[in-house]
Amino acid sequence: MGLIRRMRDLFRHEKLSAELEEELQFHLAMREQLNANEGMAPMEARRDAMRRFGNVTRLKEMTREIDLFTLPETVWQDTRFAARMLMKHPGFSATAIVVLGLGIGVNTALFTVYRAFLMRGIDADHRAEMVNVDRTNYAGKFDPMFSYFDYEAFRDHVHSFSGLIAATGDEVALTGVGEGPSLGRSMGGTLARVAGFNLPRIIGGGAEFVTTSIVSDNYFSVLGVGAWRGRVFETNDARAASAPAEVLISGNYWQRKFGGDPGIVGKTVKLNGVAFMVVGVTPKDFMGTNINVPDFWMRLREQVLLHPASTLLKDRENACCRIYGRIAHGVHVSEARAEMDLLAEQLRTQHAPHSDASKPMSIQISGGSPFGRDLDMNLKFAIALIMCAVGMVLLIACANLAGLQLARSAARRKEMGVRASLGASRGRIFRQLLTECALLGLVAGGVSLLMTWGILHVTVVAISATLPAEWGAFALNVAPDMQIFAYVFVISLAAGVLFGLTPALESSKPDLVSALKEEGSHFASLIGRHRMRGVFIAIQVAVCLVLMIAGGLLIRSSTRVLEMETGYETKHVLFLDLYFPDGFGYSHERQVAEIRALRESIRSLPGVQNVTIGRPPDGGGFRSATVALDSGKFVDQAAQHSVFYTYVQSDYFETLGMPMTLGVGFRHDQQGTQTAILSESAAKDFWPGRNPVGEKLVLDGSKQFHTAGEMTPVGATYQVIGVVRDTRGVLLDGSDTSKVYLSLPPDRLEDRPLLVRTEGDPRLLSDDISRVIRSEDSNMVVYSETLDQKLTDSPQFVFSRCSALFASILGVLGLTLASVGIYGAVSYAVVRRTREVGIRTALGATKRDVVRMILTENMRPVLVGLLFGFIGAAVAAYLLRAILFGVRALDPVSFLGVSALFFAVAMLAAYVPARRATRVDPMVALRYE
Amino acid sequence: MTKQRNDTLQGTLALLVLKTLSQGPMHGWGITLQIQEISGEVLRVEEGSLYPALHRMEQEGWIAAEWGLSENNRRARFYRLTAAGRKQLTTEEQNWKQLTEAVARVLNFAGGRA
Repeated sequence: MGLIRRMRDLFRHEKLSAELEEELQFHLAMREQLNANEGMAPMEARRDAMRRFGNVTRLKEMTREIDLFTLPETVWQDTRFAARMLMKHPGFSATAIVVLGLGIGVNTALFTVYRAFLMRGIDADHRAEMVNVDRTNYAGKFDPMFSYFDYEAFRDHVHSFSGLIAATGDEVALTGVGEGPSLGRSMGGTLARVAGFNLPRIIGGGAEFVTTSIVSDNYFSVLGVGAWRGRVFETNDARAASAPAEVLISGNYWQRKFGGDPGIVGKTVKLNGVAFMVVGVTPKDFMGTNINVPDFWMRLREQVLLHPASTLLKDRENACCRIYGRIAHGVHVSEARAEMDLLAEQLRTQHAPHSDASKPMSIQISGGSPFGRDLDMNLKFAIALIMCAVGMVLLIACANLAGLQLARSAARRKEMGVRASLGASRGRIFRQLLTECALLGLVAGGVSLLMTWGILHVTVVAISATLPAEWGAFALNVAPDMQIFAYVFVISLAAGVLFGLTPALESSKPDLVSALKEEGSHFASLIGRHRMRGVFIAIQVAVCLVLMIAGGLLIRSSTRVLEMETGYETKHVLFLDLYFPDGFGYSHERQVAEIRALRESIRSLPGVQNVTIGRPPDGGGFRSATVALDSGKFVDQAAQHSVFYTYVQSDYFETLGMPMTLGVGFRHDQQGTQTAILSESAAKDFWPGRNPVGEKLVLDGSKQFHTAGEMTPVGATYQVIGVVRDTRGVLLDGSDTSKVYLSLPPDRLEDRPLLVRTEGDPRLLSDDISRVIRSEDSNMVVYSETLDQKLTDSPQFVFSRCSALFASILGVLGLTLASVGIYGAVSYAVVRRTREVGIRTALGATKRDVVRMILTENMRPVLVGLLFGFIGAAVAAYLLRAILFGVRALDPVSFLGVSALFFAVAMLAAYVPARRATRVDPMVALRYE
Repeated sequence: MTKQRNDTLQGTLALLVLKTLSQGPMHGWGITLQIQEISGEVLRVEEGSLYPALHRMEQEGWIAAEWGLSENNRRARFYRLTAAGRKQLTTEEQNWKQLTEAVARVLNFAGGRA
């Protein structure tokens, strides 16, 4: 009742003293007056008044004490007591705070990243009013793309929105700017390299690919975002046709590439060779409807300038764009949807008769997000995994603390017994213990906020700062905001209560007599408590083992990707990917001529052994075709073969060090003829046990995936002239080792990389090569990496390496936490059983017996945990099998190795405190009480 | 931590104060006078212990204080009874009655023997 007043009084100490002074003065004055009225002399009247009060200073002190310090059974007292108890056991408190702080910190960090990256809305002035407009097509599949025609119809006729915008993206070549501060040589991030990633570098040419967000004219006005410098696009249809094409530059790219040059507005940049005038700079970190910050923004209506052949504005079937809208004030989403559905029904009749867009569909409107509703399945899977793993760390932390707290509360049984016998009620003890836990939870919450900041800073800020520039700027808001803070707070309180509740319940029903006796024959009463501590340890061990085994599997998988014998030279071959940016008017002939010239100039560089053209055998860009043998008659109609094929130059095998095992290679004068070379696997597949040289096969790739205008065999017959050694592909089941190499005609060199075989380290040649490229054609964009590096680009590697890193970090964190937990539990058990050990030693038990006894007892829950962890890890491995490369899901090395490692660490964590038991002096132990 | 001397005098003082305040809000000086007058000058409140007692009772929540103007227009701290205080008064009155009755019985018995 008086609590609030007292708390308040604490903060107005000064005022209180003054008030008391005034109150007493009033009394004195009244007495003095009374005395005077009764006829006393003034001096006498005053003295009498003072005398009646006695020692006024002492009186004031007493009263103030009453006002301030007589705090009976209150939270405040509990809190102060709890603080004292925590200070008295710094080891326990520090462990608990660090453990809980880590668990919470990792969770909060991930939550922050998740929010900052995936839950981010559309970057708009009125975020809450922004929505995504998508559709569900006739087959019930989610389809976010609309044609520009449809967009215009919606924009002009739907009134439920105060604005509808359309956007798409592109990579275009920026030329004539020269090497800005960013281009340099550090395309790959340091951290990414440490993690084992190699990123292709741009070499040669003055061109650079930039990400461009191509948007409707009203984009910025609907989003309600203005320019940082200059202006944004105007929605003025009457703009003079002769006005120069306009482009906006993002604040991030402007600073990175142009050093924040204020003169940028009004300047002209060349994108895909076409002049665009920079009319403004968008605010730094402004992403609009994108997931990252693009380099440039341009109008959809001017997209055709980039790609002269673009049908975006002409073709109703070109589903180019995503649509976002700002819901008009007071309009419900369902109304907007109904109105759009109505119009969509009309629009559908205008589409080509058999196109998807002409079939029935329904409009979907969902909350504004750059991701829309069709989050990539892989991404969803990864997020779910990460959230699971992170949740596991918090689980470990909580189980750990529950164990610690339980151990400590048992150690405090005597204290509780004394309190109870002095008259403390159960509720009172319960409340006090809970206060301790809550205080601990709060402190840990504060610490975890710091940890979160640290973790976020190290991981997110540092990583995104070292990401290659081409990946775009990821503007993540990583400063923990108030909402995140609330998240931390709730978790920390929940965790505090969670681990505090059980022990509090336990310790608040003390058996007075046995508690006062401290050590007695109460082993029986301890069994429940003991078992519970075992359960907590088992949980930690199991969860931690799952994390570590998953991490081990993924690490092994990612290194296997690199270690596996490739079957071809990777270290001394440079891969040059050539791009001729659209818009510069490269004809096919000119491209072929330039490639040929480039090949010759590079071949003549010192240190270069050979240059060939063709896709490297890692499999990227290989196409598949159906195969028929024996002049058109399929060997087995039911089991129709499909095989990977690629076109290569005659010196391809020699350059890549792939030896012929049978027959001969392509002859230079045979280029483009109907000859084929098989990989060993393909030969074995088609003609098992026979020499395939001289046989014929028919390939048809026309029904398989290929790009428009790409060279592909259409029912042509090829004569097998040789067999080459197998190389490894990217598919996990190894089915892509079966390959057919076809001879590349001399006039179809385009869209294929140059493979440069060097004598020494190919990277030493990159300066020479880039000089050659620049002198050949400065508009060309060339990416370069060694075949070795290229292996690390494969999605299998990237995904498994990333998840491996993540799982390992969490696994090590979990291992640390679990070790601390085991150490704490065993230490406690040792202290607890000092007397028993003393008796045993006195009766002749050796040190080894004592250690063995304590270890056996304490390793039991660890073993149970390992068993459950094994099962859990098997389930996890089963879920992960899709991304495991060259490792069996039940990989014995990962399972047994990690378990053994874990067991060893657990043993060590238990052994250190167990040894302490051997130092127990029986005399001291027996006299303990 | 309560610095409470549970002797009879203290208890009596609380009872007297509560009873006095049950007639309406009053400042410390007024309480002193009132008790003195009503008891026919028999009971004299020790002025030094009145204020600590008042403040303690305030912390207990039996009485509440606020600043007001005295009869001669000086700022004075007025105390009034709270609901909890009223309950406390009832309890203490009963206790007192029991105590005095018990004492009286003892005295009567002793007197009868004499």
